[in-house]
Amino acid sequence: MILTSIYLRNFRIHKDTKIKFSENLNYFVGGNGQGKTTILDSIYYLCTTKSHDTKTDSESVRFNEESFELGGVFRGTSENKIRIVYSLKDNKKEYLQDGKKITRSVDIIGRFPVVLLTPADHAITQGYPGERRKFIDSIISQASGTYLKILLDYNKTLRQRSSLLCQMKENRRNSLSDELNAWTTKLVQSGKEIIEHREKFVNEFNGFIKESYEIIMGKEEVPAMRYFYFDGMSSSNIEGKFFELLDQKKEEELKRAANLVGPHRDDFIFEINKLNLKDFGSQGQHKTFQVALRFAQFFYLKKTTGKTPVFLLDDVFGELDKKRSIKISEYLREVGQAFITLTDFANFSFLKRQENDMLFQINNGTVDYA
Amino acid sequence: MQIAEPLLAAIEELSKLPGIGKKTAQRLSLHILKSDNETVASLVKAIEELKTRLRFCSRCFNLSEEELCEICKNEKRDKKIICVVEEASDVIAIERTHEFNGLYHVLGGVLSPLNGIGPDSLKIKELLKRFESEDIKEVILAINPDTEGETTALYLARLIKPLGIKVSRIARGLPVGGDLEFADEATIGRAVLGRIEL
Repeated sequence: MILTSIYLRNFRIHKDTKIKFSENLNYFVGGNGQGKTTILDSIYYLCTTKSHDTKTDSESVRFNEESFELGGVFRGTSENKIRIVYSLKDNKKEYLQDGKKITRSVDIIGRFPVVLLTPADHAITQGYPGERRKFIDSIISQASGTYLKILLDYNKTLRQRSSLLCQMKENRRNSLSDELNAWTTKLVQSGKEIIEHREKFVNEFNGFIKESYEIIMGKEEVPAMRYFYFDGMSSSNIEGKFFELLDQKKEEELKRAANLVGPHRDDFIFEINKLNLKDFGSQGQHKTFQVALRFAQFFYLKKTTGKTPVFLLDDVFGELDKKRSIKISEYLREVGQAFITLTDFANFSFLKRQENDMLFQINNGTVDYA
Repeated sequence: MQIAEPLLAAIEELSKLPGIGKKTAQRLSLHILKSDNETVASLVKAIEELKTRLRFCSRCFNLSEEELCEICKNEKRDKKIICVVEEASDVIAIERTHEFNGLYHVLGGVLSPLNGIGPDSLKIKELLKRFESEDIKEVILAINPDTEGETTALYLARLIKPLGIKVSRIARGLPVGGDLEFADEATIGRAVLGRIEL
């Protein structure tokens, strides 16, 4: 999948920006706050209908304007024109593929797979387990529509079950225990499927992490990812263990009116040479791991979906030493098309620009070909 | 803008109906206005009779003109088998297939603690009573396969099975005449799991 061009109209700092891209590397260079990341985010929008950061649609409308519009042309086996129009007045967003409106998110997610590496990725290796679940879930969901559906079903079950636990806490009514049993069985049924999917994914994904990490760092450090569920009491009989743990926590669940067992509490542990990255990793190792994870995601999605994802790298070279930066820039040649923001190209003389690469100078929301 | 009050009232009332917005309501109102008296009278009558002549069957809670609905009264139906559905509209859907000759039981919804719907809000007690008063051998749960529907089926199965009654759930799978390549992954996945030996 190649993104051949985009346009941004009244999108944040960009008033009317049109860009034609290279099929290889596209560099966006500019100072802080000039609109480099906004270009990456607009590409992310086109692939997912959402912003990658926490900005809402209404916050993305350019000051004093009433709507924004984004458009892009993807070329795979065929050509697809994507358009997103958001109107502030109605607070309504439309997603159009080749002029046809698409409303269901399941029809969009995974259609144009996208991988984004950002400075916020530090949360994946250094933040809370929820960040890691989000990362893993987004990859599996892009690769498997089934997983996305199970996940939505599971989340709904969680909300229903906690609402029921709340009612039981307030009323102290035991008559609801039959009902709770039904929700518990439902929780185990879809929860088990999530665990199985995640387990299978982690097994496969480990190979991709090892490969990416080795290309960036060489063979001295061996990375790994481990799936940590049921507080580490994993078992071959997932269903049985799930019920057993739920039974143990029954009183506590009722007391706290919360779902205390299940894949919504899972974690993923990253290791280097069998040592927990979170406890023992240096800043450089964390950053390298985050980069390797995104490359792994890219090649994993490419293999499982058969589509080449759009690869976005926001300020990846900012925190890395020269040796690693060179490795990564070489590695990008294997990706094909990629979009990279840099604060100042002059500092990155090692990035050997090839003939087909494009360099864009971004200045206060305007783009110049350099 | 001045709009005649009766027209405004009609638009207001019509737009309260599900699936009907202001614009559709306006179109419908103007259409009714243009129709002849007879057509309007029969529309009014049809709507009125919905409320005056129809009620819920006291046994299965399907729509009925009398105490018992046509299906419950019909001697030719198989009285040993009950099909449990969410809404009366599901009875219509299944009846149209002519594949089922048993009785029905309409729950009137599914379990949803978030909306405050528990077993007491549904016709579950009434269903269990029927097992005492009628000679039921089998129950088919034909409830929508969404999160709440599946949980409701699980709940009912746990209640009914200990009574020694056979409980089944309708199969999930591919639509008849459907193309495998156009079905979504989750549906195909379920269909493979629920495959049938030939």
